[in-house]
Amino acid sequence: MSEPENTIRKNALEGVRVIDFSWIVAGPQCTRILGDFGADVIKVENDANLDYIRASKPVGGSNSPNRSPLFTTLNRNKRSLTLNVMHPRGMELLKELIKKSDVIVENFSSRVLEKWGLGYEEQKKINPKIIYCSMSGFGHSGRDRDFVTWGPTAQALSGLTYMSGLPGEDSAGWGFSYMDHTGGFYGTIAIMMALIHRNRTGKGQHLDLSQVESGIGLTGTAILDYTVNNRPFRRDEMPPGNRAPERGVAPHNTYPCKGEDRWCVIAVSTEDEWESFTKVVGNPSWAREARFENMSSRFENQDALDELIAEWTINHTPHEVFEILQGAGVPAGAVQTPEERVEKDAQLEHRNFIAEIPHEELGIAKVESIPMKMSETPWSLDRPPPLLGEHSAEIYTELLGVSPEELGILFEEGIA
Amino acid sequence: MIKGFEQSPQYRVGGALEGITVVELCGARGHFMGKLMGDMGARVIKIEPLGGAIERQIGPFMHDDPHPDRSLFFWSHNTSKESIEINIETSEGQELIRKLVGRADVFLEDCEPGYLPSMGLGYKDLSTHNQQLIMTSLTAFGQDGPYRDYKSNDLVALAMGGIMHSCGYDDLPGSPPIRPSGDHGNKIASHYGLIGTLAALFNRHFSGKGQYIDVSVHEACNSTTEHALPSYLYEKEIVFRQTGRHHSTVPTPKTLCKTADGKYLIVFQLFNNLHSWLSLVAWMAEFGKAEDLQEEKYKDMARGGPRGMRASSDTTDSDHAFEVVRRFIASRTSEEIYRGAQKLKFPWGEVRSPEENLHDPHFAEDRQMFEDIAHPEIGEGVSFKYVGRPYRFTESPWQAFRAPLVGEHTRSILSNDVGYSESDLRSLDGKGVIFLK
Repeated sequence: MSEPENTIRKNALEGVRVIDFSWIVAGPQCTRILGDFGADVIKVENDANLDYIRASKPVGGSNSPNRSPLFTTLNRNKRSLTLNVMHPRGMELLKELIKKSDVIVENFSSRVLEKWGLGYEEQKKINPKIIYCSMSGFGHSGRDRDFVTWGPTAQALSGLTYMSGLPGEDSAGWGFSYMDHTGGFYGTIAIMMALIHRNRTGKGQHLDLSQVESGIGLTGTAILDYTVNNRPFRRDEMPPGNRAPERGVAPHNTYPCKGEDRWCVIAVSTEDEWESFTKVVGNPSWAREARFENMSSRFENQDALDELIAEWTINHTPHEVFEILQGAGVPAGAVQTPEERVEKDAQLEHRNFIAEIPHEELGIAKVESIPMKMSETPWSLDRPPPLLGEHSAEIYTELLGVSPEELGILFEEGIA
Repeated sequence: MIKGFEQSPQYRVGGALEGITVVELCGARGHFMGKLMGDMGARVIKIEPLGGAIERQIGPFMHDDPHPDRSLFFWSHNTSKESIEINIETSEGQELIRKLVGRADVFLEDCEPGYLPSMGLGYKDLSTHNQQLIMTSLTAFGQDGPYRDYKSNDLVALAMGGIMHSCGYDDLPGSPPIRPSGDHGNKIASHYGLIGTLAALFNRHFSGKGQYIDVSVHEACNSTTEHALPSYLYEKEIVFRQTGRHHSTVPTPKTLCKTADGKYLIVFQLFNNLHSWLSLVAWMAEFGKAEDLQEEKYKDMARGGPRGMRASSDTTDSDHAFEVVRRFIASRTSEEIYRGAQKLKFPWGEVRSPEENLHDPHFAEDRQMFEDIAHPEIGEGVSFKYVGRPYRFTESPWQAFRAPLVGEHTRSILSNDVGYSESDLRSLDGKGVIFLK
């Protein structure tokens, strides 16, 4: 192991180069974080087989591959290289790039890279220290390895969809691809752990991720309740809706507010918080009734309690409830709409949560920041999401040594 | 690497984080970070208050016995750690923490902003004696800003974070947005806390310097809502929630389809391309359930692919097609449709209970997704099946051991690692700084 060099570094992952074949959401979420930390993420694309998300709801309804809002936030801080891997010269150049890279990421179904002749064993021959992260639905081994997932599939199979809902009702599930985000996080975590391991041992490795398995990893308590107590997840009070039967506390729920389909949450878990709560809602007489006198009686009688609380919340907007109760030290929140998150959330504004950078087609690209502040290597928005093929010329000539003459041929023949 | 710590007896070699020592002072917000590090080979020392962390009081419990060493919630979030009981409210307790952190690589904490600095345990104090220290603070709203001191928990985090606005029912009148259960607000934040910590560890290898990482649960949730913010930021459009499927700015077909055995499947992407559409209709026809879907107009829709679908505003035909598919699914079992559709490359999945995966041959047998973890404290030879590795490393394996009993390692850490004598320990115990069994 080499000793620390005490070099000044701007970014945490400075010097790490990532070949990014990933597309849609899960893979780009993974590599977006690597790019935010300063890795050189090269998004390898192909006109004939575009990242679907480039076509997702383009701003202004145009056919441009550079105007999708979701693509924008998932692909900032990356470079775009167009390369046709089906062409022998394209493959040759890709192998040159592998020699000069640290990490390969892809979220294709499980045999695509093997079909290209680029399975891990082949990658290792080109670059023995390469870290290969495959993010498939079911992993690269096992009888169902050829099955495929999107975020909702992984949520359904792992148990996460089933675990969300009101008791006695069908599953509410997730309203977006949570396991694309979280599958992406596990890719990032695995890659950074492997980089740390490589710093220590000099060894690369294959990281075989399965989107369903990363979801199963989040169900640990439910699995133990079954293997230890033989108790299935669904029962009287489960799924718990917005209540907290596992903690036995109340009030802990959503409550209706002023406005159409507007809601707040209140989560009281101590006697002090209960005292503050009753005071700030005006010491109503019901709050002194015996059925609400302690935590366990409030929990027992929470149906009645929730109805009485709703009579107060319905006269306030969600943000009013949030400010009034938080002002009194009671955990509460607005079920914030996207508009409120952008226009009314003073904390997100203070923390500069929405970052902006000029973009050739959109004017300004607006993206969510990485949700942390680092004292030595803070993230920065250095690059807008790349236009398709924006960095092909510079990568071919500066990194791969392609001559200007050949570069023209690469573009002409559809290799680049 | 800092070599301030002896290897603990349970120390395993070969993990990706071998040689890294983590001191964790976390509750429900951050304990998952420490677990993920411990499971990959870091030595994680969890500081608990006398009597044990409050999460030990959260159910479910083994055999419903609310004993602090029997919380399954605690077990699942605290594998691969050692436990030391310290009374942080005493100056000697604070001194002990200073000593532990002074020799650690990473200090993970999720206390309220300002609490640790008020005791001389902030990053400025701690890093003076250990410049390589990485300190990761996980708070509800961050270390500064107007909401800094506001109180939160998982429900509040998911509400303020925009996640709940996207989750719930559109076919249950008057129903509220629903928080997906499983502590996901805390988990998202723990994932980001870990990501920042790992980035800092990688950076330290070259810079020789640690750093301070301020992670906000609020921001972590707000950056994990897929289309919700991009749709607003560019088009001022507000997504709304729909049962079991994506939030959207326009209504989309229901995707949860009931099967003959009373289960549900998630069904989408009917019209991806002509080839897959033809294979689906042929499969339905085998059971006499294709109805009129062999008609030419549906082939045209399939040729248009997903983009063609989006472009057409008249959804009568696609709604009808979906109804026919729904009737086909209602006539077969969940297992049959799930496996049959996957063979045709449709990304459909069963809505499974978490425990059903214990019997799925691919995950349980071929991939060994569940691990037996020994619990000798319950009885000789006793072990329980846990969720195993969320990723498969080929060189540096995942490996977990059970969560610690309250204060199980107080004595071993203080005598072996810090070098206290038995009489030092008894004196600290007498003063209520630590608790010896």
